[in-house]
Formats: sequence, structure tokens, C-alpha cells
Amino acid sequence: MFSVLRQTSRSRLSLPRRAAVPAGIQSIPIFRTLITKRFTADHETVSYDDKTGLGTITITEYAQSSLGDVVFVELPALETKVEQGDQIGAVESVKAASDIYAPVSGIVKEVNEKLNDQPGLLNKSPEEDGWLCKIQLSNPAEVEDLMTAKAYRDIQDS
Amino acid sequence: MLSIRPSSYIYSSRRYLSTPSTHTISPNHSIYLSRSTNPYFNLTFEDWLFRHSPTEKPLLLIYRDEPCVVIGRNQNPWKEINFLALRRAGNPFIRRRSGGGTVYHDLGNTNFSIHLPRTSFDRHATAQIVLRAVRSLGIDAHINERNDICIGKDKMSTIFLPLMACCFYVSGSAYKIVNNRAYHHGTMLISTRLDALGDLLRSNKESMITKGVASVRSPVCNLQQFSPTISHEAFSDAVVRAFQEEYNIDQEPYIAQEDEGATSIEYIREGMAELPSWDWAYGQTPEFTYGIKKSFGWGDMTVEIKSKHGIILSCSFSHDGAGSSSVDREILELSKALEGKRYGFVDNAAIDARAARGRDGDIWEWLKTAMES
Repeated sequence: MFSVLRQTSRSRLSLPRRAAVPAGIQSIPIFRTLITKRFTADHETVSYDDKTGLGTITITEYAQSSLGDVVFVELPALETKVEQGDQIGAVESVKAASDIYAPVSGIVKEVNEKLNDQPGLLNKSPEEDGWLCKIQLSNPAEVEDLMTAKAYRDIQDS
Repeated sequence: MLSIRPSSYIYSSRRYLSTPSTHTISPNHSIYLSRSTNPYFNLTFEDWLFRHSPTEKPLLLIYRDEPCVVIGRNQNPWKEINFLALRRAGNPFIRRRSGGGTVYHDLGNTNFSIHLPRTSFDRHATAQIVLRAVRSLGIDAHINERNDICIGKDKMSTIFLPLMACCFYVSGSAYKIVNNRAYHHGTMLISTRLDALGDLLRSNKESMITKGVASVRSPVCNLQQFSPTISHEAFSDAVVRAFQEEYNIDQEPYIAQEDEGATSIEYIREGMAELPSWDWAYGQTPEFTYGIKKSFGWGDMTVEIKSKHGIILSCSFSHDGAGSSSVDREILELSKALEGKRYGFVDNAAIDARAARGRDGDIWEWLKTAMES
């Protein structure tokens, strides 16, 4: 499902940062869906799939690099109704706790159970395999108000 | 897990701005010394500063608390704490908002909290500030690989005496990183009751297997063992000076009190109410299982209790008792009665059917004691 994103992220390792962040909107022709990826000031991303109505929540590459080795991830319960900005979980690296906030409103439909046993996925692949949860968006317009990749990069560079 | 905070709490900063109050405390100072010794206030005040002070400015907060046990954000209190000793001592335990392990607070223990922009946050650099403060008091301390401050023999001794403590910790650290801000806070043992600390933090529940974060047990000692004249005031002054030098700050400390200027702020009021709530203190406990065994007159019984977010998910019993049909019925009823209840908070009234208590209540009494210890 995230083949385009995956390629982009892999290439990020070898390219300078400015060129590496994926574009805000990507079209995956095979599935005829539009995935909109947006960033938040809390260093999270949401990739909204307009076909399923699901938004996949992750922390950003920058977040994982500044947290260090993740040892525990606390995920929200399925079917939890969340409002944009609610605290929905926690990430702990060695002795450092960070909060996970819901970047969008909706209902938690899936959580990444792999993180229970492999919290290190957040370091290895923060924006793909280490995804946190999927939220059925109650107000997809919220996505458009979040930062594009460029806007997110700009606040980091500033 | 439900959302930890109601959304109004998340956005309370906006309300604060619109709340008219003449003497509310400002988050714009660089250095705060809290005169409160209420751990609920100090931990909440720290969190409020963390989220409301200017993002780019370094900030220092110093406080100390009445006796209490403070566990890390993602820890299991039943694994970390000896609840019998805690009740005997009459102390509370508090789940803080930063990561790391369990510590004991009392007035002989001073807490420092250094807040920085996330981009310039460096655990080693902040530990160095505190190290310089300790050294300025004439104590030869060093920083170990976990960025904790230790006193004692150098690392050479670990090569020859690997089973002996190479040094004693006088300080333990934890961190919080959110949005564009980060803090390093830690304890400094000056004249803490080390005997109380040892009793409270020894839970001895080896068969409790828990997710989340485990504490790293470390030998500790007080600064006063090395220099009897060191006090809370002397250490606080030394940290303030080291902080001012590090960041070229000439502002003097602002004295914070737990008064209306602080508690009129909604974020602080709600945070102080949240810390002792079941939802936060117990409900944030990671998943765990606790397997225990006991010999009764009629045979041996083992039980495995599974719990997540402080709720009992299941109790599986097994036993080798003969003629067991009545025992089987009792334990089935008991496990049904316990499912969905709050771990450690099941009272006798909830196990109302006499049969469910099993064999004159033996099995239930045993489980209840195990969950409350």
C-alpha cells in the first residue's frame, strides 16, 4: 500500500535532507487512490487514504532521531473516539517519554500490534513499518490544514 | 485506552489567556525555585512550565517534595513498589510524565529540572551543568554512561571487581520530549532517608512479568556522606550558578508558591487533579501477568492474573486437589467475578457470592492480599 512512500524513504538515507522528504500528495495509480501525507508540529504524520477514509499515524524521522532508541510504545485502544489534539499514547526511549497526539479526529480502527514486541521499529522505519495506528477520520478537512512536507521542513530549518 | 486528557485540558492554555486574574504566575522567567513541597503541585507546575514557557529560552526549576514514590510514565506500580510498605509509611505514589525508573522523594532530596529547545537538547550537556554544581561544593563526582551522577571509585574497579558496586548514585535522571521542547529532570540525594527508600522500592514480585519500562536498580548514597554541610539551599544555589554560567543568564530565581497565582491557572488545577486519579496513576499501567502459587490443605493452587491498563483481563487457575468439582465451580465463579475489575481495588462486596470466595474465602483472601501488596 505504501510502496511509493517506502521508496521515497529509502532514498532519504542517501540524499540530502532537503531533497528527501516525500511530497505532500502522492498518487498511486495502481490502486487509484489518493494518499495525502501531512505533518504536525508535534512531529507526527498522517497519511490519509481517501478511498478507505483511514489516516495512518506515525512519528516523523526527526522525532525518532531525537528520541533515540525506543523501548516502549503505548497505543490507543481500538474503537477509541479521539479529537484532534487528544493524547492517545506514549513513546519511551531510554529514560525519555514523549506523548502521541491525535493529529486528526476520528475513531481508532487499527493499531500496530507489532510495536508491542518490536518498539525498535519506530527507529528503523518511523514513517512506514513503525506506524502507530489508523484513524477513521470524522472530518477529513482537518488533514488539509496540517503542514505539507515542505512546510514541516521549513519550520525545522528555521 | 481512552484519551488521557479531555481535550479541554490540552487546549487549556488558550483559556488561561482569556481568564482574567490579576496575579497569575508568569511562565517567562528563566529560573524558578518552588517553595511548595507538594509533589502534585511541583510535578504539575513543571509540566505547565514545560508547555508554556518560551520555546527558545533555557529554563531551570528546583523543588523538593514531601515523602512519596515517583514512578516513570510507562511503569507498572505493582512491579516497582512494595504497597504494604507504602501503606505502612502513609506515602502516596505518583506517576510522573517523564520516562525512566522509580525514585523516592523526601525533603532530603532536591529535584532539578532543566528545559531547553528540542533542537539544542543534549542529555550529556545538562548532566554536566549539575555535575559542575556538585563539584563546586567540593565533591568529586562523575557522570556515568547513563548520564547519571555518581560518586566513588573510578571504572577501573569494575574490571577487577565486577560483582561489586563501582560507585554510588547520588542522582537519577529522566527526560520528556514533546513538540519543540525537552527537559532533563533529576533527583539529587542530599540527606534522604535511604532506609525508607529501600523498603518502598523493593517489591519482590519476581513472577510478575510486565511490559513497559523496568527500573534499573542502583546503589545510592547521600551527598552529606561526603560533605556533611551540604544542604538543599547550598545545592540549589550551586545549580542556579552553574545554570546561569552555562547560558549567560543574569536573572535571579523567581520564588514560586502554591498559591492562587498558580492554582488559578486551569491547566495547573486540572493537572493536579489528574495525577492522583485512578485513570492516570493506575489506568496507564502497561500489560502484565502475575503468576502465584499457594498450598492449601486440599492441594496446591496456581493462578495467573492478566491485567492491562489496571483492569483484570483474566484469572486462570489450576490445582492438583482431589475431588475437585466444588473447587472448580468456585474458581470459575471467582475468575468470572474478577474479570473487568480494577486490579488491586476489588473489595469483598464485589465478590459477593459466598461460593465465589472459595473454601471459606481462602482462595479469595489469598488473591486479594497478593494484588494489594
